[in-house]
Amino acid sequence: MGFRAKITLAGAALVALGVAAAQAEDKKPISWWYETAAPENQEALQKLLVEPFNAAHPNEELSIDFRGAELDKQLRIAMLSGSGPDIVYTAGPSYVAAMAQAGQLLPLDDYAAKLGWNERILPVFIELGKYNGKLYALPKTYETLGLFYNKTLFDKNGWKAPTTIAEMEKLADEMKAKGMVPFAAGNADWRPTNEHYVSIVLNSIAGPDNVYKALKGEIPWTAEPFVKAIDKLNEWWQKGYFGPNYFSLTGEQAFAQIATGQAGMAPTGTWNFQNVPRYFPQNNAEPAFIGFPSAEGVPSPIYALGIGSTFSIANSSENPEGAAEVIDYVFSDKFYGDINTVWQGEWNTPLKDLSKVKIGAEVLPLYGETMKSLADAVGKNQYGYTTWTFLPPATDTYLVSGMEEVWLGKITTAQFLEKLNAAFLEEKAAGKVPAIPAR
Amino acid sequence: MWLYLAPTLVINVVIILIPALLTIGLAFFQWDGLSAPVFVGLGNFVSLWNDSVFWTALENNLIWTAIFLTIPIAMGLLAASMLLIVPRRGSTIFQVVYFLPVIIATAITARVWQGMIYSPVTGIFGWLGKLGLPLTNPLSQTSTALFGIATVDLWHWWGFLCVIFFAALRQVPQEQIEAARIEGASFWQMMRYVLLPGIRSTIVLMMVMTVIWSFLVFDFVYILTQGGPAFSSEVLSTLAYRKAFYDLNVGQAAATALVISLFGLVATYFYIRIQQREGV
Repeated sequence: MGFRAKITLAGAALVALGVAAAQAEDKKPISWWYETAAPENQEALQKLLVEPFNAAHPNEELSIDFRGAELDKQLRIAMLSGSGPDIVYTAGPSYVAAMAQAGQLLPLDDYAAKLGWNERILPVFIELGKYNGKLYALPKTYETLGLFYNKTLFDKNGWKAPTTIAEMEKLADEMKAKGMVPFAAGNADWRPTNEHYVSIVLNSIAGPDNVYKALKGEIPWTAEPFVKAIDKLNEWWQKGYFGPNYFSLTGEQAFAQIATGQAGMAPTGTWNFQNVPRYFPQNNAEPAFIGFPSAEGVPSPIYALGIGSTFSIANSSENPEGAAEVIDYVFSDKFYGDINTVWQGEWNTPLKDLSKVKIGAEVLPLYGETMKSLADAVGKNQYGYTTWTFLPPATDTYLVSGMEEVWLGKITTAQFLEKLNAAFLEEKAAGKVPAIPAR
Repeated sequence: MWLYLAPTLVINVVIILIPALLTIGLAFFQWDGLSAPVFVGLGNFVSLWNDSVFWTALENNLIWTAIFLTIPIAMGLLAASMLLIVPRRGSTIFQVVYFLPVIIATAITARVWQGMIYSPVTGIFGWLGKLGLPLTNPLSQTSTALFGIATVDLWHWWGFLCVIFFAALRQVPQEQIEAARIEGASFWQMMRYVLLPGIRSTIVLMMVMTVIWSFLVFDFVYILTQGGPAFSSEVLSTLAYRKAFYDLNVGQAAATALVISLFGLVATYFYIRIQQREGV
């Protein structure tokens, strides 16, 4: 190869490098820190979100960083130093309020208008993501609480799904008489499991209207409806409805007992749909899910809304437009159908209209039907409030262990609610209560 | 000459002193970890004083200290003294076996005990239950949760003490041991008059460190019970952790951490006093 040829080749290489560098510089990075995800679910996100999004947006480059169970701690420290991710993924609205108050989040109102989120997302969740009148967060998924049961077991025993508290208690007593555990439940791996049941009784016994008033500060948490609700939950505990192993079982072990027939019902959340494929087929059992029955005078069923996680955009983000596009992609019909085909229970994005969503045929129809019923009920304002989504952080944290104190006879219902109310008032005064949409 | 110490001093200041001062400072502020801190004087300490969970946690740390100042030290001493009787090759094998639990990661040890021993579904306790010997998972009872956790940590910890004490025992002058043996001393007399006095400084050091570590205990409690049921196994570290990261109350978390440090300082003070007295 001659000297001139070598020079030409070197020049071509330099030009190629320059072009490559220029092309690389055109792609704007979008970072998103995610929580824990099993390997197959990480792969699903890569294939169904990252790759399609990057393909549809050649100038953007989304990357998801799986931070595991420590996400929320790392996120808070990073946000403080201004080096957090573009898409801020939090454990719920109570954290959003604090971050918005601290000026760490970007208002999303303009993106909501431009990208049509106000029309596609259920209004209650738009309102819920607001702080001081501005939109700061949107739910990645919304969940609710209800009653799972083993339809096969029910048919075999001639049992019908309960529609009232009295019917449910009668069923529970029959189950106990047969040596079953009425309520499959366990908090050995996640102590805040306790508040699933507190949320259920607050909404189904005390009623969501009263919960709303308490969250607004119009009535105290020590009011009579809440005393009745907590007393009812304590009564169920004392009757042994939760079984002898509540503090020893993990949530998944407890749910498995529904499939095996060791337990009759499971008052729990829609996130457990992700455990249905693992346990029900191998036990030749069919699951069913209904809203939890309500006390007399309370509309039935009440779907208590929980938001397991939210999206926001960091105020310090250098690519907020890209981050907004990612959020917009997550709220598409196609993504909803694709991700829920392989990963149920974690990606119920709050779309108003699920009629155009196509979930794969291999997924239990019960799941899609449940999500549609939920969206319809929410659209009609027939919803309630979970404690982990609507209570401020310290109040919510106290509730978890405080309920155990009631169950184990260390304090009375009145004392529990007194402490809860005191914590709530303190945090309300400090502006820590998430926005409560008008009912 | 001082210049040679400067780099380590700088590192010490940056990594230890500054964070420590920040913790002390934050104990007097109300801060949620996000917005601007607000000075509240002794407000955080007053809140802790009025918090029954704080007193439960402090009591649990004291109980934990009492357990770890006695049981594992006794176990370690007994095993170490018996290792003296075993031929060298045998004692090495035993040392390795005893030491293994210390090097297993805390999270793994905790989950093994929780899932394979204590669990009524997947554990030995469950298996024994099916055999007609019903044992209750201690982590599920308020009266036994702390002791259930302590058992796991004991299993994990006593072998370390054994190895430390054995190393110390081997430093006891052989002449003293031979003299006692010639005089016809029994095993217990040998322990009381020769071996224990000979390793007294090591025992004292381990006891002081035990006090400090007992007030810092966090990992097994957090993994196994998160302070439950009903706050029955709450310790100061898990309380501080929850206040900082779940209650968004960094100020009270810092105040709690100060209380932990106070007990560590008291233990350190006594250790220094003992050392000075023995030095005279």
